[in-house]
Amino acid sequence: MADLVLHDIRKSFGRTEVLHGVSTRIEAGSFVSLLGPSGCGKTTLLRIVAGLESVSAGRVEIAGEDVTARPPEARDIAMMFQSYALLPHLSVAGNVAFPLQMRRIGRPEERPGMVRAALDTVQLGALADRFPRQLSGGQQQRVALARALVSRPRVLLLDEPLSNLDARLREDMQVELIAIHERLKLTTVFVTHDQEEALSLSDRVILINDGKVEQEGTPKQIYDTPRTRFAADFLGASNVLAVTVRDDGHAELADGQALALAAPAPPGPAELAIRQEDVAILDDDDADGLAAEVAARVFLGARSRYVLRLAGQEVRALGPDRPGLRPGATVRLRLPPDRLRLLARP
Amino acid sequence: MVREVPPALRLAAWVFTLAAAVFLLAPLVVVMGVSVSENQFIAFPPEGFTLRWYKAVLGDARYLSAAWVSLRLALIVTVLALVVGGAAAIALHRRTLPGSEVLATLFLSPLILPTIIFAIGMLMFWSAVFGPVGFATLVLGHLLVCLPYVVRTTLAVLAESDPFLEEAARTMGAGRLQRLWRVVLPQCRPGLAAGAFFAFNISFDEAVLSLFLRRPGLTTLPVQIYGQMEFSPDPSVAAVSSIMIFITVALLVVIDRVLGIRRFSTG
Repeated sequence: MADLVLHDIRKSFGRTEVLHGVSTRIEAGSFVSLLGPSGCGKTTLLRIVAGLESVSAGRVEIAGEDVTARPPEARDIAMMFQSYALLPHLSVAGNVAFPLQMRRIGRPEERPGMVRAALDTVQLGALADRFPRQLSGGQQQRVALARALVSRPRVLLLDEPLSNLDARLREDMQVELIAIHERLKLTTVFVTHDQEEALSLSDRVILINDGKVEQEGTPKQIYDTPRTRFAADFLGASNVLAVTVRDDGHAELADGQALALAAPAPPGPAELAIRQEDVAILDDDDADGLAAEVAARVFLGARSRYVLRLAGQEVRALGPDRPGLRPGATVRLRLPPDRLRLLARP
Repeated sequence: MVREVPPALRLAAWVFTLAAAVFLLAPLVVVMGVSVSENQFIAFPPEGFTLRWYKAVLGDARYLSAAWVSLRLALIVTVLALVVGGAAAIALHRRTLPGSEVLATLFLSPLILPTIIFAIGMLMFWSAVFGPVGFATLVLGHLLVCLPYVVRTTLAVLAESDPFLEEAARTMGAGRLQRLWRVVLPQCRPGLAAGAFFAFNISFDEAVLSLFLRRPGLTTLPVQIYGQMEFSPDPSVAAVSSIMIFITVALLVVIDRVLGIRRFSTG
C-alpha cells in the first residue's frame, strides 16, 4: 500500500511555475530520496507534502486520505529541518516531548518513557537534561532526528539533514539512518543534492530536474541505466558521447571511428552514456579499439583517472595506474556494447 | 584574533570608564547623602545622620497618595505596554501587515517627538474630545511613550531567533495558539523583560506628561517632588528620591529573577 501519493502537483510562485506536474507513489515502509540540483524544486515538493506550502494544482494523499487542504498540524507527518529548528528554551527531553504533547500521543505518564526510547535510538539518552545551545552540531542533529521519530509519523520528512555535518559525522549518520530505518520501518522521504547519499541510503530514488521527475527507480537502475543526459550527468561518473547511428546498427563518431551497439537503434544523431569504470584502456599493440589521446592522468591511490580525447570529445576512464600513459600518448579504448546506454533524445 | 592593546589606550579606556561611572553615580551619592543630613536645607556634604526625612516622607499623605498613583500607573502601563508592544512586535516581525516599515517607524515616533509637544497635543485633544483629563489620560499618555521600548527590545530578540521554529512547531502538531504560547512568546521573553523594565521606569519617572495631564487630587510622585522642590525645598525631597532609587534597583532584581533580563543584556 502506498503511504504517500502525489498526483500531478503543480506549484507557482507568482508567475513562475517551479513544479510542473509531479506524480509519484511512495510505498509504506520505504526510504525514498528526492535527488536533484539546488533550485530544482525538491525542497518545495517536500514542504508541500508537509503542508507548509500550498499547491497550485494537484493532490496529496497520506495513508489513502486526501490531505491537500489540511495544515501541517493535521497531517500525520514529522519533518526534520536543515537548520534542525530545535526550540532553544526547551531541554533536549522537552524538545523530544513536544510533538507528543502537541499531537496528544500517549498518556502524559507514558511520555517520558517514549522520549527516553527515542533518545536512546539516537544514542543521546545521557544528554536529556541539556539545552540545545550546550550541544555540538552533531548532537543537535540527533535531537532533531529523535524529535522527528518519537511520534512514529506515517511519513517522515528529512530536508537535507546531513548537509551541515562534516564528512566523517555525515558517514556515521548515514549508517545510523539506515539502521534506524531498518528497525522502525517508517516511510521516509529524504531530500538531498548529494547523489552518493541518495544512492547509498534509499530504496528508491526520484531524480528531479527543473520541477519535473526526470527518472525514478532503484538506486541501481538509476545508476546503471540513466535514461537522459541530465540523469547521466547528475549521477556523475558517466561520459556522454555524441554519435550518429548508422543504418548498419553501429554508432559513428565525428572522426569516422565506429563502435558496436548491443541493441538496434533508430538511425540518426544520438547520445551514448558510459560510466568511467567501464571504459577499458587496452594494451598499446592491440589495434582493435578506438584510437584516443591521453590529456591527463590523475593518481587517486587505488586507481587512476585518465582524461582522454576521443574524436574531439572528452572521455574519462578509471583504471589501474599506468605511469607510461603520459599526456600526448595514444591509446586504444574499448567501450563494451553492453555498457553503452542510448540516452533519450531531448 | 586577539591583539595587544597599547598601554596608553588601555589607560585611556580606564579613565573614560571611571569618568562615566562617576558622572552617573555621583548625583545618586549626593541625593542619598543629603537624605540623611540633619541640615534643614539641601546642602552637601551632609551634616550628621538622621532618618527623620524618611519618616516625614512616609508620614506625609501627599507623598503617599502621589506614590500610590505613580505605582498603579506604572504597573498598569507596563502590563498594557507588554501586551500591545509585544503583539505589535510579533506582527511587525512577521511582516504580515501591509506597510510594516511605515508602522515600525510610527511605533518609534514617540521616541523622536519632544515629550512636551506630545503632552500639549494630548491635553488639547483629550479636552476637546473626552472632556476633563483623568487617570485614563495618564495611562494612555504614558503607554504611548513606553511602547517604543517594548517594541524595539522584542523586535531585537525576534530578529535573532531561528525563522523555522514556527514551521517546525507546525510539523509537530502545534496549532496557532499553541505556537504563540509555547514557541513565539518564549522567544520574545528576554525582549519583553527588558521592555517591561524600561516601561516601568519611564512611566514611574515621567514628569512632563504627568504635569500637563494632572488634575487636583491626581498627582504623580515626580510631579509631587517637583512641586516640593519649588515651594519648600528640604531634604525630604532627597529622601523620596532615594526611595525611588531603591524601588528601581529592587525592580531590576525582581525582573531579572522572573524573566531573565541578563540573558537579554548579554545577548
